[in-house]
Amino acid sequence: MDKEILNLALRRAVIVLILSFVFVFAFSELAYALTSSSPDRDPQEIVLTIPLGTAEKIAAGQAEPTIPEEMNFVVGDTLVVKNEDTTDHQLGPLFIPAGTSASLPLQKASSFEYNCSFQPSSFFGIQVRQQATFSFRFFAIAYATPATAIFLYVYSIVALPFKKKELSTPQE
Amino acid sequence: MKRTFALLGFTALAGFILIAVVSTQSAKPPVFQGSLIDPPILAKDFLLHDQNGQPFRLSDQHGKVVLLYFGYTYCPDVCPATLVDFKRIREGLGDRVNEVEFVFITVDPDRDTTDQMKNYLGGFAPNFIGLRDEPPVLQQVWADYGIAPQKQPGAGTAGYLVDHPARVYVIDRSGNLRLTFPFGLAAEAMLHDVLVLFAD
Repeated sequence: MDKEILNLALRRAVIVLILSFVFVFAFSELAYALTSSSPDRDPQEIVLTIPLGTAEKIAAGQAEPTIPEEMNFVVGDTLVVKNEDTTDHQLGPLFIPAGTSASLPLQKASSFEYNCSFQPSSFFGIQVRQQATFSFRFFAIAYATPATAIFLYVYSIVALPFKKKELSTPQE
Repeated sequence: MKRTFALLGFTALAGFILIAVVSTQSAKPPVFQGSLIDPPILAKDFLLHDQNGQPFRLSDQHGKVVLLYFGYTYCPDVCPATLVDFKRIREGLGDRVNEVEFVFITVDPDRDTTDQMKNYLGGFAPNFIGLRDEPPVLQQVWADYGIAPQKQPGAGTAGYLVDHPARVYVIDRSGNLRLTFPFGLAAEAMLHDVLVLFAD
């Protein structure tokens, strides 16, 4: 009798686990599809170069055409600003002496509007978003599946208790 | 058969979760938490005067790590927060505390007199160094480190405010500018970087 209960409980646990995985996977992918603005790539090092003569152009009110006014990143990226100009430059918390580079690790999803010495507007926008690669979503599913399975299992015990006929063999 | 099926299911789940946990926790943090300046450059030298009127030359500090901050004693927010971080770093250094100099250069020489700086910095730690000088001398130092203080009208009895960058400059034991710490970086992260510099 105990062995049969155990078998039924285990069988239900496996079924619930599979259903949970399918449910979480479908929910996760649907959410991802609906919010497709999330960048689908791994973190990387992104280099922004300040060309020679940029400070002179800025002083003359001209933008350096190779430098964008806003950039998008994923959490974990590192922005490396390489200063090839003859003047020290600044970007928000970064101080980039002439002839060097300075790195800015982007560890949190957020939007920044930094003071910037290499833009005529004096501002540089940075958008940091949470990455959403397949592996990242896979790990999220792995974390969510057990909790969902436990919830569904407890719910199934309440909603669909083991019936007597399931627990005993039919008597002739 | 059923038990085998169940055991296989649970084993697969356990493996799935283990791979997920190990993979997400095995990402190595960068060596430095602050902003690395590459290649390091010799920090621009200066000669200013401390809160006791004694001369302080940056190049005389070779052999020590210098944490350099530009601020003012009437600052309502970022300066005291940074000095609290300095205090926490100092406490975390243990018996290596004498290998680091904590230097505060005023961006408001009109109000930051030697007595004012002595009283203010003494409230944080006895050996924090506060530097000031005549405005033309200070202006050259500010320019060398990309500091352009801007006076702004302020409310209350303190009068005006002074806009200024809130980063900390980190100079290694060879006198090279190696890192900057952005405002908001945890004191523990700054301490970590200082300890990494000791290993150079």
